[in-house]
Amino acid sequence: MMAAGIALVLWSGWHNLRERGAVHTQQPSHIVQPSGQAAETEASESAESPSPLLGKSAPAFTLLNLDGKKVSLSDFKGHPLLINYWGTYCGPCKVEMPWLEEFNKKYAASGFQVVGITYDSEVGKATIARATKQLGVTYPILLSDAKAEADYLSGTEILPISFYIDKTGKVIEVVAGQGRKDEIEDKIKETIAAGSK
Amino acid sequence: MKIMHSLEHFPDYCRVENYCHSERSEEFPHFARTATLSAISKKALRRTVALLALVAATATTQMGRAQLGGQFSGQFGNADAANHPKSYIVYAAESQTIPANRRAMLELRFQVVAGFHVNSHTPKSELLIPTTLTLQPASGVKVSPLVYPAGETYSFPSAPGEKVDVYKGNFTLKLPVVATAGEHSIDATLRYQACDNASCYPPKTVPVKILFTAK
Repeated sequence: MMAAGIALVLWSGWHNLRERGAVHTQQPSHIVQPSGQAAETEASESAESPSPLLGKSAPAFTLLNLDGKKVSLSDFKGHPLLINYWGTYCGPCKVEMPWLEEFNKKYAASGFQVVGITYDSEVGKATIARATKQLGVTYPILLSDAKAEADYLSGTEILPISFYIDKTGKVIEVVAGQGRKDEIEDKIKETIAAGSK
Repeated sequence: MKIMHSLEHFPDYCRVENYCHSERSEEFPHFARTATLSAISKKALRRTVALLALVAATATTQMGRAQLGGQFSGQFGNADAANHPKSYIVYAAESQTIPANRRAMLELRFQVVAGFHVNSHTPKSELLIPTTLTLQPASGVKVSPLVYPAGETYSFPSAPGEKVDVYKGNFTLKLPVVATAGEHSIDATLRYQACDNASCYPPKTVPVKILFTAK
């Protein structure tokens, strides 16, 4: 009972740190809670457990878009990409998506491309299309499948989650949760630059 | 991977009966107080709460894998993560006794884990998934429509102008029933969808068992 209470207190403090990191600071904390651990402390803010995709080639996929056409990762070969998993019920996702639309256009000349993948495909194309239209999104929206979710999400349930992929196809950054607009743009620039090195 | 939000994790409640009772009593002081007022023996309460209290844990697509107790789950590289979905709502029911053969109100108490919120029953957007409790028929029990509490207005920090209607902290559903004398059990499922300040999580549907006595 005592341990659980202490764990809750620590968790609460850590949670608040997370929120501050996410919303208010220039350098959000980078941390993943390992399985089975009771709580994090401030000291553990420096810890980071990378996605298994980090530094590796982005897993291939072939998914349907909202028009029912197949779209594959290979269709974007040679382009720096931001693959963004989102859901129609996800408020933070819908905050990010207009920013992604803006950056998709702003950096198009560099070959940059945003690809949205809908996590809640079961709500139907019409609902997804309506949501994307409301958000002003014109970049490709694909419907996820079990394989893509297994390959990219590895059991995580966090939305949004973004995978930054350089033009060689390597995953150079994975960000779970809504980022700040300027941070997203910085990562896009890094992604474009990384593929040029 | 960079995590831009709070991860959900909290002690693994309710997997052991007595532990569950003691932990829930701390976190839900009202429940312990109610038990005292109801003159229910500690042992009986422990047994009852242990039976009832469970942590909402199973994704909609994973109905067959409902879990008792919250789970710590690694976000990546953890094969257990998919099998042990994370939890955002705790259901902790006290033993309830109502008069038999008369309309009475059962109170179903839930707690959203600190730092998270779930959509209310009326989230004010067709795209948002309302919190909904679906009841199965139960022998000797007639139920009337559930009464959901009003939610509270919430805005994500990054979108202060967009208001949604949510449940945070404790919330109570009220279920009007008329029951014959005896012990009763109503099976139900709670569907909800949780978010924190910067992230959202897939909708979950979890089993809830409502136990009460009419006499």
